[in-house]
Amino acid sequence: MSHRVRQVEAIEAGTVIDHIPSDRALEVAHLLTAPGDQFFLGAHLRSDNMGHKGVVKIANKELSPSTISRLALIAPGATMSIIRDYVVVSKDPVPMPDRFTAIARCPNSNCVTNHETVTTDFLVVRPSPLEVRCRFCERSFPASELVLT
Amino acid sequence: MSWAGRHIISIADFSTEDMLHILDLAASLERQPRPDLLAGRLMATLFFESSTRTRLSFEAAMSKLGGQVIGVTDALSSSARKGETIADTIRMVDQYADVIVLRHSHEGSARLASDVSRVPIINGGDGANQHPTQTFLDLYTIAKLFPDRLQGAGAPLRITVAGDLRYGRTVHSLLTALTHFPVCMQMVPVPGLEMPGHCLDEAQMAGCPVQLLPDLETAVAQSDVLYMTRLQRERFPDPLEFEHVKSAYRVDAAMLRSAAPQLRILHPLPRVNEIAVDVDTTPHAAYVPQAGNGVPVRQALLALVLGRAEVAVGSGA
Ligand SMILES: [Zn+2]
Repeated sequence: MSHRVRQVEAIEAGTVIDHIPSDRALEVAHLLTAPGDQFFLGAHLRSDNMGHKGVVKIANKELSPSTISRLALIAPGATMSIIRDYVVVSKDPVPMPDRFTAIARCPNSNCVTNHETVTTDFLVVRPSPLEVRCRFCERSFPASELVLT
Repeated sequence: MSWAGRHIISIADFSTEDMLHILDLAASLERQPRPDLLAGRLMATLFFESSTRTRLSFEAAMSKLGGQVIGVTDALSSSARKGETIADTIRMVDQYADVIVLRHSHEGSARLASDVSRVPIINGGDGANQHPTQTFLDLYTIAKLFPDRLQGAGAPLRITVAGDLRYGRTVHSLLTALTHFPVCMQMVPVPGLEMPGHCLDEAQMAGCPVQLLPDLETAVAQSDVLYMTRLQRERFPDPLEFEHVKSAYRVDAAMLRSAAPQLRILHPLPRVNEIAVDVDTTPHAAYVPQAGNGVPVRQALLALVLGRAEVAVGSGA
């Protein structure tokens, strides 16, 4: 039986986002943390079912619904655990909303949302791989093409 | 869904039943004109981008139902340049107009207008996205030419779309609309301008697979409807390539000698080189009456969203 070294430091309390697509880990850390937050970031870690993955652990913080929605957009398929006293009190897939409102810009430069002050709105057309459709210009995009606002 | 007050923004918003209702009402208004149906109602045409054909067709439709029309084109582009937003323009015009027809080069502009408007918005074209009244008039034309077969009697209608199937919004919307009917879709794309995968997926999911035909000769021999589209020079980085495709992508009277007798050719117009002038006098040419069908279809839509459809088909009080 092999002894596995912990890849990222444990936290006493807070939130752990695991199974982040490796190349989005920095972006997730940036999204979830504010100046002064204590956090740990692991990128390109071994993963049994993903090959490589990213992990972000933020101490003493639980996420707001709007942050969770952003997280679902940039790291679809990630899992979120809540830690209290070193104990995992919950571990769930990051919930996938049926739409993303007011959190991202439309990649279509001719879309009206890029020319007027409009609350952007994307509907999920396929959860995996995540694809969304702009409610305004009606174009569909892979989630990776959207830029968070 | 109730029609009065409804916005006409995108083909995707309409059910089969909705489409049949529009076609029936258009046919009824064409059979039995109703010159007073919309008396006292005011339609504003807000064309931030000019389109003489579409605007005239809407204005004719409203006038023939006794309604009034106001509209501007160039002035709007200048107010837009000064920074006035679509939302502000709509909030001003909906104070006095009963229905607004909007054409704008930005995709999604009509949806945005419908979010803020107190009165129905009819999308007269939003950039490369949607032009639903064009699609309804295409559908109406097919329904008039093949009334029983569009609704499933006899062999499924073989409808071929040809030309720029990649960027042509009219063929994408037409395909969406036709997936509601038992038709057999075929296509002859210009090389490099094939239909996007998501359109094909959508058709497939709706149970309407699309079959590829090798060339226009085959299409002419094996179609009931051949829907030609315009080629746009700007889609071709190489001008020589454009000239080459332009001369190859063309239907003329000689080609039509091998056509199925019932074949009808449609085109959203204006044409460039896709249909030779000698086709105009053959029984296959249906694109001129097609353009005329825009009026009854737009009459039907105006009557519906202004809540006068029941009156239109009633006793004629
Ligand atoms: Zn958009």
